Amino acid sequence: MWGFYIEQLMHSLPFFLKGLWMTIAVSGISLVVGTLLGFLWGIIRSSQNRILKALVGAWVDIIRGTPFLVQVFIIFFILPEFGIQLEAFPAAVIALTNLAACFICEIVVAGIQAVPWGQREAAISTGLNWYQQLRNVIMPQAMRVILPPLVGQYVLLIKDSSVVSAIGVVDVTRVGWLTVQRVPQGLLVFGLVALLYFIICYPLIQLSNSLEKRMSSGYSRGKV
Amino acid sequence: MIEFKDVHKWFGDLNVLKGINLKVAQAEVMVVCGPSGSGKSTLIRCINRLESIQKGEIVVDAMKVHDPKTNMTKLRAEIGFVFQQFNLYPHMTALQNVTLAPMKVRKIARKEAENMGRYSLEKVGLGDKLHQYPAQLSGGQQQRVAIARGLCMRPKIMLFDEPTSALDPEMINEVLEVMRNLAREGMTMIVVTHEMGFAREVSHRVAFMDFGELIEIAPPDEFFSHPKSERTKLFLSKILTH
Repeated sequence: MWGFYIEQLMHSLPFFLKGLWMTIAVSGISLVVGTLLGFLWGIIRSSQNRILKALVGAWVDIIRGTPFLVQVFIIFFILPEFGIQLEAFPAAVIALTNLAACFICEIVVAGIQAVPWGQREAAISTGLNWYQQLRNVIMPQAMRVILPPLVGQYVLLIKDSSVVSAIGVVDVTRVGWLTVQRVPQGLLVFGLVALLYFIICYPLIQLSNSLEKRMSSGYSRGKV
Repeated sequence: MIEFKDVHKWFGDLNVLKGINLKVAQAEVMVVCGPSGSGKSTLIRCINRLESIQKGEIVVDAMKVHDPKTNMTKLRAEIGFVFQQFNLYPHMTALQNVTLAPMKVRKIARKEAENMGRYSLEKVGLGDKLHQYPAQLSGGQQQRVAIARGLCMRPKIMLFDEPTSALDPEMINEVLEVMRNLAREGMTMIVVTHEMGFAREVSHRVAFMDFGELIEIAPPDEFFSHPKSERTKLFLSKILTH
């Protein structure tokens, strides 16, 4: 009995790989763009500009305080009401990019705050401008705090990408839904789905762990 | 070189500087002492605008420090600042620490900046520690790198905010020795410190601060042997007993 289903599943394997590719495409684009945006927003939130700071802060709070599924629906179903028509794929990428940027923004803010104020004062008093302080003094130190949770956040976001299957993006999760209608062995089908996610996420988990170890011992952080 | 004109500063309701008037001449070494919380750190932090002021004016080398039109980069490049906690950049070697600002602010080419950096570090006796990270150096060595970082910008003024207070006793002297040499070379210096030996030996004038006011300024001989104010006498009696 199981053998029969496994064989059927094997027939669907190319379909699964296509879904895997879609998952990688949606998360990959979102993580890259979301990281850039997240750093930008995080730096703005750590700056002195009150208005921009408040705007970014409010946006991040709204996104963090609402379910991702609802955000995806709003972008896909509700924006068209206002004349913004989006295919499922760009809608998914926009939603996930935004989510990534918001979480990464918070990680970046925490990293920047972890750099002692005296570092900034030392940089200020030698005449470095705002950008030079950030580029040469603050961010290199903040990165040590940012990197481990950043990679951990990537894992969470890749898993969150499964939500976009709800608007018809044929990612691994969607492939699971479609397959289980023909191969009525939920355990097997979604076991395979889970395995595929795990294969992408596990190396990242390992990377995050090893970064954590490296960063906590690391350089020569003496008395600062 | 440095002039305070009726400078007032508040932290919220707390009046930390109450009408400071002070002139420091070129090549003068002035020591500022006083109990903690008297406003002496705030006083020197105002000189390179690490702190704002609410009233009055500070003029450094003909530049008004708290005028929004003042080019702060230019002003700060002229003023070296040494912190109690060193504040070296932990991710950079000693040489990188001292060459960063010359390269970025003064736009000096790397090669030349490194020559200047090497010279500055040799001057503070650390010519053999160019490529060490701060955590590989002792406290006294770190503070000397911090002094070299200031010197490497070729400043006209050096400000010291309790430079030896975070050091173990056996390391204090190596830092004071560097400062003594600087004073001898004619650097304009304001030093906030409790090192009364240094004040007596090196400074031209000693200022005593209490509750945000400059109580007394006098040459060290006079300051230590004939203090005028009761508060100065009380402070000296506490600090000079050991």
